[in-house]
Amino acid sequence: MDFQNRNNTANKFVCPSDRQLALRAKLKAGWSSSKTSEPLRPEEQEAIISVIRRNEEIEVAERQRVGRLVERVEKIKQHAVERGPNCCRLCGDTFGILRPQRILCEDCRQSVCTKCSVDINIRYHTSERSREIWLCRICSETREMWKKSGAWFFKGLPKYDMPRSASATPIPNPGPGSMAGDTRAVQSCHATPTRPARVKKLTIRVNDSSSSSSGHSEPEDEVDTGVGIGVGVVGGGMAKGIASTRLQREDSFRLRAYGSIRSFIDGGERKLSNSFFFNRQQSQRPSECPEYDSVSMSKLRRESSFLRRGSVSSSWSISDSSGSGSNNSGNSQTQSQYQQHQQQLQQHCRDPLLGWLEIAISYREAFHSLDCTMVRARDLPAMDAAGLADPYCKLNIITPEAHTKYTRWQRTKTVHKTRNPEFNETLQFVGVEPEELGNSLIYVALFDDDKYGHDFLGAAKVCLSTVHSTSQYRISVPLGVEDQYSNAAEMAQNWPNGKMLLSLCYNTKRRALVVNVKQCINLMAMDNNGSSDPFVKIQLKPDAHKNKKHKTSVKWRTLNPIYNEEFYFEASPHDLNKEMLILTVWDKDLGKSNDFLGSLQLGAQSKGERLQQWLDCIRLPDHFHEKWHCLAPDNPAH
Amino acid sequence: MAKTYDYLFKLLLIGDSGVGKTCILFRFSEDAFNTTFISTIGIDFKIRTIELDNKKIKLQIWDTAGQERFRTITTAYYRGAMGIMLVYDITQEKSFENIKNWIRNIEENASADVEKMLLGNKCELTDKRQVSKERGEQLAIEYGIKFMETSAKASINVEEAFLTLASDIKAKTEKRMEANNPPKGGHQLKPMDSRTKDSWLSRCSLL
Repeated sequence: MDFQNRNNTANKFVCPSDRQLALRAKLKAGWSSSKTSEPLRPEEQEAIISVIRRNEEIEVAERQRVGRLVERVEKIKQHAVERGPNCCRLCGDTFGILRPQRILCEDCRQSVCTKCSVDINIRYHTSERSREIWLCRICSETREMWKKSGAWFFKGLPKYDMPRSASATPIPNPGPGSMAGDTRAVQSCHATPTRPARVKKLTIRVNDSSSSSSGHSEPEDEVDTGVGIGVGVVGGGMAKGIASTRLQREDSFRLRAYGSIRSFIDGGERKLSNSFFFNRQQSQRPSECPEYDSVSMSKLRRESSFLRRGSVSSSWSISDSSGSGSNNSGNSQTQSQYQQHQQQLQQHCRDPLLGWLEIAISYREAFHSLDCTMVRARDLPAMDAAGLADPYCKLNIITPEAHTKYTRWQRTKTVHKTRNPEFNETLQFVGVEPEELGNSLIYVALFDDDKYGHDFLGAAKVCLSTVHSTSQYRISVPLGVEDQYSNAAEMAQNWPNGKMLLSLCYNTKRRALVVNVKQCINLMAMDNNGSSDPFVKIQLKPDAHKNKKHKTSVKWRTLNPIYNEEFYFEASPHDLNKEMLILTVWDKDLGKSNDFLGSLQLGAQSKGERLQQWLDCIRLPDHFHEKWHCLAPDNPAH
Repeated sequence: MAKTYDYLFKLLLIGDSGVGKTCILFRFSEDAFNTTFISTIGIDFKIRTIELDNKKIKLQIWDTAGQERFRTITTAYYRGAMGIMLVYDITQEKSFENIKNWIRNIEENASADVEKMLLGNKCELTDKRQVSKERGEQLAIEYGIKFMETSAKASINVEEAFLTLASDIKAKTEKRMEANNPPKGGHQLKPMDSRTKDSWLSRCSLL
């Protein structure tokens, strides 16, 4: 060994031997063994920071406790009188024959009386012998303070907070070599080395808090993204494009409006045309540019056709029941046209325009049959995220007593994925007398077809007084909002699986989607007793937060259960835009597998009111959005 | 603020990952045992106040992560500890061999006067034992520290270990205060003289 050591000392630049290299590799020493530890994950930093915060509270309490100890010693020092060597240091009594005796303090070597001194036993562990010493109260309390504050270990007083803001100045000791002075000096000397350590600790905390703030920035971005998506939703459907695109559209619309106004002025009816067109301009909905061009061209053609067929316009007035308008003189024709235009203006001011419908009606008197041909529709509202709809028509005849003539509404086929459907379908009403035509109306309601429900698109009324048996009567009418007849048409829908009342809320505090299943109505009967035992399963798919499936309780022997049960799904607004809520209703069967009753899906891929409720829930958090939905007969596989 | 105490002792638990440091601390502070092993992230602590010789002692016991990647964080808390418990697992030879590395870690990072104690945990698993009690005692004697075999699961010697360490730290406070002020034999007679005079004068006063 000595030889090896000497050899190494002599040849310090010699390459180390294989044995030394192996030893260094084993000990992980040397130059190439520096390994960088992997950085902590944000949740680990968060856990450590919470521990540091808890420790801060304990340190605050400890600092106050040490402050009280220090204050106690300072208070005793304030009361010291310090008159002279022949008097007690603390109370000032003079020593003498009949006076209290003089006692020297072991620590500070000052004279004190018996009242102001404390005797303590010091036990030596090695010799098992105890010795009694005397201390003045100042030194005794100082010793206790050092023990209790931990200064004995850290060789200096730790940081403390005084109970009062003003700290008394200690009275200087007259003694040249007093022990108390030395003790204070020792304290101040020892306090210096502890400060760098504490500064180092503070530095560590600062780093941790900065990393914590960087960890918090990510959820805020997600929240902003969700809010941004919500802002883009307009009305019942999603309008594409941004505000600048809308501004461009409005500019082009104004240019076309100016051209249209000019054509009306050339027509000769200035004031009437201007006010009529401006009202229509206000009610116009923004739409996509290509469709807008075709729509405006078709509108121009439609308006010219209105002017050409003056007698056709009389069908717009429902109250005008006389069919002899064409037999009047030219002056009365002009007056009736003026009235008809005014009624059109009133109608347009009253109702928002939901689109247009072209219909052709003919009456075969020999068969008492009214044939209604649904030709096409234009500019229907969008019902899904892609800005499309799946429309179909429902028809009935309204009698003069404001009743529906037939309990069963006639229905066209559904035209899928379009807002401008071409139906080209003729529906026949048999049993219509010729006398009824004068006072009856054809009522048409358009709906959006969906397996999960139906949504109202628009409605129109057509007066039958002008229908002649010789020729087909063709008209294009605007679509209006819901009324009692459209509700009647809606009630006539056939939904055998029932309905569900659902309330949704996004709770920002808990970052969770709250699903409140309130009740179901008109469920299917699956048991022999003509009833069911329904319960609802709820699931979120695809789930980024691994929420588990939830189930409501079972309501026995009822087809109209009332649940009012809340369930929480942890989610972020950004994730909700990609997820779908799936609810399935089941009939509980003991001893057998459960029977499927119906299903409902809500999410970004939904349509109509389900999409509306889902997007409202994201756009308006911390509010409950409640809606009725129809249940679908098919079971989503899960 | 509501509850006052006389002393605050800060203790530290160190050792390899999985030896049962968190379980020992949980047994002492909550008197419960959790069979699920969740690795400690960085650092944690628990508080318990005990009474020793009519004095209330508040123990703040720091639990460290035994994994290598938290080493930088855990060593920052060594200097603030008055007592350190080195824990190993009697069913893992490796954790006992690493006690030497942990002691070297203490010498580098902790205070020189820190009170140390060696604990061999999981002593209820007698059939899986790999480290005998004699070897543990021998290592403790070698370093001049106390040794105990504990079981956090069966609640064996956990309370005794912490009370022993706290008692040793409290005894150290008395010893340290005495060392700061060495006694001087020359002045030993003065209090006795004062007392003798006092008794004599009081007798004369009575007469």
